[in-house]
Amino acid sequence: MIDTVYTHTKSMEVFERALKVQPAGIPGHLGPVQSQFIPTSAYPLYADRAKDSYFWDLDGNRYIDYMCAYGPNVLGYNNELVDNAARAQYEKGNCMPLPGRVQVDLAELLCDTIKIADWAFFMKNGGDATGFAKMIAHTATGRDKVVMVEGGYHGVAPWTQAVTHAGVTEDDVKNNLKVKWNDAEAFERLVNEYPGQIAAFISTPYDHRVFTDNVLPAKGYWQKIRRICDANGIVLIIDDVRCGFRLDLAGSAEYFGFQPDLACYCKALANGYNISSVVGRDSLKDAAAKVFYTGSYWSSAAPMAAAVACISELRRIDGARLMIEKGETLSAGLVTAAANEGLDLKISGVPSMFYMRLTNDDSLMMQQEFCAECARRGIFFVSHHNHFINCSLTDDDIRQTLEIASEAFRITARNNPDKVNN
Amino acid sequence: MPDSSVKARCNLFAVLRGIEYLLDNDAECKKLVEGTDLAIQFNIKDGPKGNLSIRDGKALMKSGKHKSSMILYFTSPEHFNKMIDGNANPIPLTGFHKIGFLTGPFMKLADKLNYYLRPEGDLLSDPDYFRMNTEITAYTAFFALAEIGNHDRMGRLSSAAMPDGILQVQIEDGIGIFINVEKGRLTCNKGIHDKPRAILSFRNLDAAHRVLNGKLDTYTGLGNGEMSMRGFIPMLDNMNPILDLVPVYLS
Repeated sequence: MIDTVYTHTKSMEVFERALKVQPAGIPGHLGPVQSQFIPTSAYPLYADRAKDSYFWDLDGNRYIDYMCAYGPNVLGYNNELVDNAARAQYEKGNCMPLPGRVQVDLAELLCDTIKIADWAFFMKNGGDATGFAKMIAHTATGRDKVVMVEGGYHGVAPWTQAVTHAGVTEDDVKNNLKVKWNDAEAFERLVNEYPGQIAAFISTPYDHRVFTDNVLPAKGYWQKIRRICDANGIVLIIDDVRCGFRLDLAGSAEYFGFQPDLACYCKALANGYNISSVVGRDSLKDAAAKVFYTGSYWSSAAPMAAAVACISELRRIDGARLMIEKGETLSAGLVTAAANEGLDLKISGVPSMFYMRLTNDDSLMMQQEFCAECARRGIFFVSHHNHFINCSLTDDDIRQTLEIASEAFRITARNNPDKVNN
Repeated sequence: MPDSSVKARCNLFAVLRGIEYLLDNDAECKKLVEGTDLAIQFNIKDGPKGNLSIRDGKALMKSGKHKSSMILYFTSPEHFNKMIDGNANPIPLTGFHKIGFLTGPFMKLADKLNYYLRPEGDLLSDPDYFRMNTEITAYTAFFALAEIGNHDRMGRLSSAAMPDGILQVQIEDGIGIFINVEKGRLTCNKGIHDKPRAILSFRNLDAAHRVLNGKLDTYTGLGNGEMSMRGFIPMLDNMNPILDLVPVYLS
């Protein structure tokens, strides 16, 4: 029995101030609405500090964190190797009138690490990367249309969003074509329907959309997509922003046994420092050079130094394998803990990025109850999104997580007696 | 630019449906229809058809053609919408002997609808009026939402993305409205469903009133606890763009 239940008085005080001066209080995906903090009162709203697998909220509560800042925390918060590298570069110079030498160091490192990378280009966010990859495809093919997977997430630029979303116009999305995940035949039909008009097929390596069980590629799926792209001059873009470096350091495409033309990276690239990248095959290097795409901070040197340190360390410790193993241990423990209370916990996706859902109801209400009870006791899960493992997660962290999760499953089962397995 | 046919549907199946609420909640209105037993068929060329029956002190609005005491014809959705705005008259086709009801009690009911939907002066300071204004506004807004989701071009894109199930909207300790979503088709109902898949709730009447009148945005309401949501949130996510269209049709 875990007696301590957290409260968030200071978080709420700051949030009340924020509501007066910031749209939505906390804009974007970290806000309580987008984060699906259900109920809001169960969750902290602001972080005070973070280290390794933990963060502390404004009220001093410590959490074992399985969101990892939605992916960037890959080695552990405030990793000394990465921070020291960034700090050293800050002392030399960060945002300067010319790029630092470290830009070339990082490009070389990515080309040496990611299987398909013959070159690398840097920007700031995942959405910058997917947008650039799309522009390269348009440049290389002279075509307008892009095929995307229904429910796939490629950032927040208007072309990536549904036409019904605020601020998006019909013109923004008029060149998007959609297929269902794992349906290579549907892609082939679209290619035949729009001959010579499709510039690119863009997709995440597997289906890790929110609110639903994640789905791995069917056997032969990616190989068939690759063949269709080759036969029709279509650029194959992998959005590896979320999965990147958590499945295989050589790229998530390598994990699934295929080779894209372009791959987009961000989150785990620099352990929290702001940088993203598109890497690509030599055949698209000229097209990439032609696209004018830049920003005030895109050549800043310190995040590049952080990325060099982060990728080097991930390589040294075989970080992807490590995170998958930790994820497997945690997932197995969670499934058992749920079963002990008569609950079915379904885990899907790759273990380093597991998605979990109680299948005892189809509304996610029990899942939301479970996550809220965990948050009240210091485990940071969210109910709608895949989770993230980081390399600093210890066996003791996993043990504590399972102890608290067991209590949360017990409470959830007690509150929903009609839905518990006999 | 609202589609006049969709606006006619909102006026017929959401605004005029408010008469159901009036007869259930306003003693004066109930007295107006004492002993009344009739059904008015609204036939709108190139637009919706609906039937409002009043009997035993209660009203019921139904979609489609049904047995009626009088038929009111409208030459177009615009014609019907002008009548709702008080700028046109219907064309009675049958039931001339019931015209007295139309020009008498029915007009008074319409005036009462306007009274509750468009507060003037300090009416809102009266708690009973405040409650009725909020409840009838909520019913009107969500019944209109279903029409917009089923018939507006952009609304249909959102409703098509709504997962199947029951979406419950409720004011805690107050009224409930649930929307049955089935293959992108929305059906609005009054009451509390026992197996909702998603729930959007308002902590109290005041929170609902401010949200429905644009004085409290949903992000703030959800953040500060005046509103809450739970369940299968994609239902709510895809309902919200339709909700944003409601003022376009009901203003």
